[in-house]
Amino acid sequence: MTSRLSTVILNIVTWTLVAVIAFPLVWMVLTSLKPQSELFTIPPGFLPREVTFEHYRILLTDTPFLRYFVNSAILATSTTLLVVTVGALGAYSLVRFRYRGRETLAGLVLFTYLLPSVVLIIPLYLMMVKIGLSNTLASLVIAYTTFSLPYALWLLRSFMAGIPEDLESAALVDGASRMGAFFDVILPQALPGIISTALFTFILAWNEYLYALVLVNSDQSRPLTTGVMNMLITAFNIDWSLLMAASVMMSIPLIIIFAFLQSYLTRGFGAGGVKG
Amino acid sequence: MVNVIFNKVQKAFGSVVAIPDLNLEIGSGEFVSLLGPSGCGKTTTLRMLAGLEQPTGGEIRIGERAVNNVAPGERDIAMVFQSYALYPHMTVGQNIAYPLKKRGVPKSEHPARIKAVADLLQLGPLLERRPKQLSGGQQQRVALGRALVRDPKVFLLDEPLSNLDAKLRAHMRTELIELHRRLGKTMVYVTHDQLEAMTMSTRIAVMHQGHLQQFATPSEIYNRPANTFVASFIGTPSMTLVEAEIEMAEGAAFLLVGGQRFPLPPSLVMADSRHRRPITLGVRPEDISIASGEAARASVKLVEPTGHESIVTLDLGGAHFVMRAAGDVALRLGEAVPIALRIDRLHFFDRESGQRINTDAERPAEFRSIAR
Ligand SMILES: Nc1ncnc2c1ncn2[C@@H]1O[C@H](COP(=O)(O)OP(=O)(O)OP(=O)(O)O)[C@@H](O)[C@H]1O
Ligand SMILES: [Mg+2]
Repeated sequence: MTSRLSTVILNIVTWTLVAVIAFPLVWMVLTSLKPQSELFTIPPGFLPREVTFEHYRILLTDTPFLRYFVNSAILATSTTLLVVTVGALGAYSLVRFRYRGRETLAGLVLFTYLLPSVVLIIPLYLMMVKIGLSNTLASLVIAYTTFSLPYALWLLRSFMAGIPEDLESAALVDGASRMGAFFDVILPQALPGIISTALFTFILAWNEYLYALVLVNSDQSRPLTTGVMNMLITAFNIDWSLLMAASVMMSIPLIIIFAFLQSYLTRGFGAGGVKG
Repeated sequence: MVNVIFNKVQKAFGSVVAIPDLNLEIGSGEFVSLLGPSGCGKTTTLRMLAGLEQPTGGEIRIGERAVNNVAPGERDIAMVFQSYALYPHMTVGQNIAYPLKKRGVPKSEHPARIKAVADLLQLGPLLERRPKQLSGGQQQRVALGRALVRDPKVFLLDEPLSNLDAKLRAHMRTELIELHRRLGKTMVYVTHDQLEAMTMSTRIAVMHQGHLQQFATPSEIYNRPANTFVASFIGTPSMTLVEAEIEMAEGAAFLLVGGQRFPLPPSLVMADSRHRRPITLGVRPEDISIASGEAARASVKLVEPTGHESIVTLDLGGAHFVMRAAGDVALRLGEAVPIALRIDRLHFFDRESGQRINTDAERPAEFRSIAR
């Protein structure tokens, strides 16, 4: 009896949470489909009386939205590739090789998170100016890598620490080189970890605002976050319809990626190859 | 022909010396077991031979070649790991094909070679499965298959049976013996199970704290243990080791133990024995028995029937002996029974060094350790 009751309560709580979280998203989609005239009616209507794709058309044809989009895609993809590559190799080294200062290094890496990132912006900007990278996507790739990499290293390190050393020894005896063993055995085993690292990094690079605002000032290399803000929000006016349409389109890549990778994330290949 | 040589090999992990100085020669086609208690350096020795661990001193040779600086993949060895180490993301077939792939065996040859191994180990129906869909015994056979699919100079096996239940272990033991007989390959087999070592090996290398204690055939190890460690480590129930003395008087020799005096044939004792020499006496449980006539008496301390036999603990003047007796032996606790020792099967060890001092210990080493 009590268990039935607690199930009911649990369901109510869960669905309330889902509703609270989902409502703004649903509202965003609906607003982007309403004509401008419907936005500020009182009382507000939930469903659009008339569905329009006008805002999407304006964004795609009359504004630099697509350029920002491409910039963001390049930015997030290269950051992800860089972080996953360096993170995977670095984590492997931290787990497998014995050298002085290995543990200290791993600890120091986390230390970087103790500094509020705001503190780092100005020095980083000055450095970028010095090496001639200011106002480029590359400067953002570097900046995002600095704060994704520590996380990536730790996550992948714990994943790789769970992979039995015997697996790699077996590959070596079977004739693989170190690198061969890494690709044939370690990578497939660490795949769930690599995918979650990649997701984390991609989302971070896709959504980051503050660094993009400070480090990049030219319309040519602005990513979506600052680009859209710059374009649609001015001191006098916020173009809500276009903003909502832009937000919807910004979320689509993330939704697609999640949909594809989610099964990988939860599946993993699991243990079982090694007994004992 | 010698196949594997350890020459003054040392291995230290930082300040921990796992192997101080190892000398070992393994002949071609031998089945050699590395036997010893946990932590004695068996796995370390095997991993050095595989190239997974770099020795900190000395030389290892496989065939004609010094292999200290040769990568594991180029040593022409195959290894079965204690954990099996099957690649979890590959099917059984892919696991077995992996060494072929890595060694550049033409793809057209793979199916035939995989099939040969699968037939040998009855893996045929399992080839499409993944390792975690297999039982322990099946995984063990796949691990063997991955080693057998190549044609290496030496097979290395690290406790491959330790994860199996008793029945399967006995079965796999006979399979391995049969496999070795059929392939005629050199095999180095790590185990801490003396039964495995005794039944499978042509020779056993008994190790203790990184030191090689004795390297000889199973019967040699059982019948002429080189020191008290080997004596007590091999055999269940283990050999009784008690303090005793050997007395030489007027050309006759006597064994003094537990206040009793047993005459010995002088030929059994090394000629240079001092007038009265303190020793450690070793007696296997089957070499002590209840005497039929009048003899020294020991009191019964404990009777442990196991079914087909009873293990009896006897007290002879303070010295405790373990005796193997018939399963239905009728003995009461505290009862004094006459005992007989099989004089020619006694083991004498130097009290201080623990080394064997029977006259057979004087024989040259080659003679004591011929391959079976
Ligand atoms: N990587 C290592 N670092 C430090 N010490 C080690 C390392 N590997 C082994 N040792 C030490 O070397 C000694 C021998 O270890 P080894 O693994 O060879 O023992 P073993 O005979 O295989 O034991 P077991 O029967 O438990 O497998 C042990 O004292 C162990 O603590
Ligand atoms: Mg071991």
